Amino acid sequence: MRRWLALAVVALCAGSDARAEELVLALSTREVAITSTYTGAEVTVFGHIERDARTIARTGEYDIVAQVQGPTGEVVLHRKGRFGFIWLTESRRRYSKVPLYFSILSAKPLASIIDEDGRQRLKLGLEHFLPAPTPELEERDEFGFRNALLRLRREEGALTENEKGVTMIRPNLFTARIVLPAKAPTGLYLVNISILSEGVPLRTAQAGFVVRKVGFDAFVANAARNEAVSYGLFTVLMAILLGWMANVVFRKD
Amino acid sequence: MQLYLPIAELPLNLFLLLGMGGAIGFISGLFGVGGGFLLTPLLIFVGVPAPVAVATSAAHIAASSVTGALTYWRRNALDLKLGTVLTIGGLLGTLAGVFFFNQMRRLGHLDLVITLAYVTLLMSVGCLMFVESIGAMLRQKAGKASPIRKAGDHVWYEKLPLTMRFPRSKMSTSVIPLAALGLVIGFIGTVLGIGGGFLVVPALIYFFRVPTSIVVGTSLFQILVTMIVATLLHAIVSQAVDVLLALTLVVGGVIGAQFGTRTGQALKGEQFRLLLAMLILIVGIRFALDLVAAPADRFSINATELER
Repeated sequence: MRRWLALAVVALCAGSDARAEELVLALSTREVAITSTYTGAEVTVFGHIERDARTIARTGEYDIVAQVQGPTGEVVLHRKGRFGFIWLTESRRRYSKVPLYFSILSAKPLASIIDEDGRQRLKLGLEHFLPAPTPELEERDEFGFRNALLRLRREEGALTENEKGVTMIRPNLFTARIVLPAKAPTGLYLVNISILSEGVPLRTAQAGFVVRKVGFDAFVANAARNEAVSYGLFTVLMAILLGWMANVVFRKD
Repeated sequence: MQLYLPIAELPLNLFLLLGMGGAIGFISGLFGVGGGFLLTPLLIFVGVPAPVAVATSAAHIAASSVTGALTYWRRNALDLKLGTVLTIGGLLGTLAGVFFFNQMRRLGHLDLVITLAYVTLLMSVGCLMFVESIGAMLRQKAGKASPIRKAGDHVWYEKLPLTMRFPRSKMSTSVIPLAALGLVIGFIGTVLGIGGGFLVVPALIYFFRVPTSIVVGTSLFQILVTMIVATLLHAIVSQAVDVLLALTLVVGGVIGAQFGTRTGQALKGEQFRLLLAMLILIVGIRFALDLVAAPADRFSINATELER
């Protein structure tokens, strides 16, 4: 179903006379439905780089970088320390408004597409999923915490970098494969696609899709939040009833 | 077969969940403990967020204790009167525990207090029971009869006012120490986030010399009431009860508990105490190792929460 081309999303108009390329995007789906059998999903972005007679001639080929940012949330990080002979949590950091899913897709390593300065300017790279540290937070501790956060989120699959996530079908036609893990949070996902040529950014376009629970899972999640008392009573009754049933079924004496 | 859990927000294998529920249910039925101290860490280990793991375990424990308690009730091995006195004390203790919990959290030393208290408690109860039950088994092998309780043989705390007779448990004692026991267990249970069954069982056996078979049924009854209240509170306050996760765990749990109760009835008192002592010790050692061993990674992500 999600393979269907749903909607062409954004086609930005060019601003200047000597025209730059235009970028047209389409997503394989606008909504990823979480049902009882959900174990992760894939969303494909189709992109077409449009040029006409007035477009500047390019010598090199196009490079594509897709940055996907999921809904934001709060992450609490703990650090253990030694107290005598036992290990306990000695300090913690709370990071709010952090994207709970963040991924960067390209057809080749980022470093060979654009240099360090350019990456900084365009905010391309996994390290940009966190807001830049403010001077007062720039302590020795803060670095350790930020690196640990990057590392741990990467291990959890919430932070990915895929150098083979973009496929060039033709020199001006590409697809980007977004892989959502099973634990992908529900909410709005923004896809930010940049085309570059020989390290120069040419154009950026955006698209988005939504991950949401549907059917039974949506019903349960809503009930738990909005009808907490009935939901709790139902769970307790279910537990008691099943316990009683097992007792009757297994009764021998 | 993977099943997506709507509140825990991750897919887990259905048979893994049934198996986990079954194994913990077996232990619960066998020893008259809730099993929360085993199930909660297991759920967190397979990826369930901590609040959901704690809240949903409560529903599982309620179910396995219903089925276990019913079996003991039918075999006339449940002292309803004793269970009620313990439960009333327990609910008061829970209230005090919630208050203490919030006070300590404000002071910021909760982690340390909880971990140290937990390890100390598990290790000391486990060691005492282990030594005692081995001793009892050796005595029996040597042919010496284990000391039998004589009628009217009372310890000082049993002679306090408000005496009540518990014919099923073959004892008459003051209500005060029983209610106090319930209160202490409810308090500790709330602060440590456990049901406290593993404390009720040895306390009734050693302090009040209630027969082992009746202790288990009575403890299951007390756990049942406590866990029903806990499930409701969790559903209303933290909204972290996953009904689908609960359902799969419960189905496994109630079946496991049936086999557990059967096995439990066939055990001798000393064997029962030795096995329970070993279980408590193993959990205690695991937590102690966590404290003492240098962590592989000093950093850990404690919670991630979506902004709604």
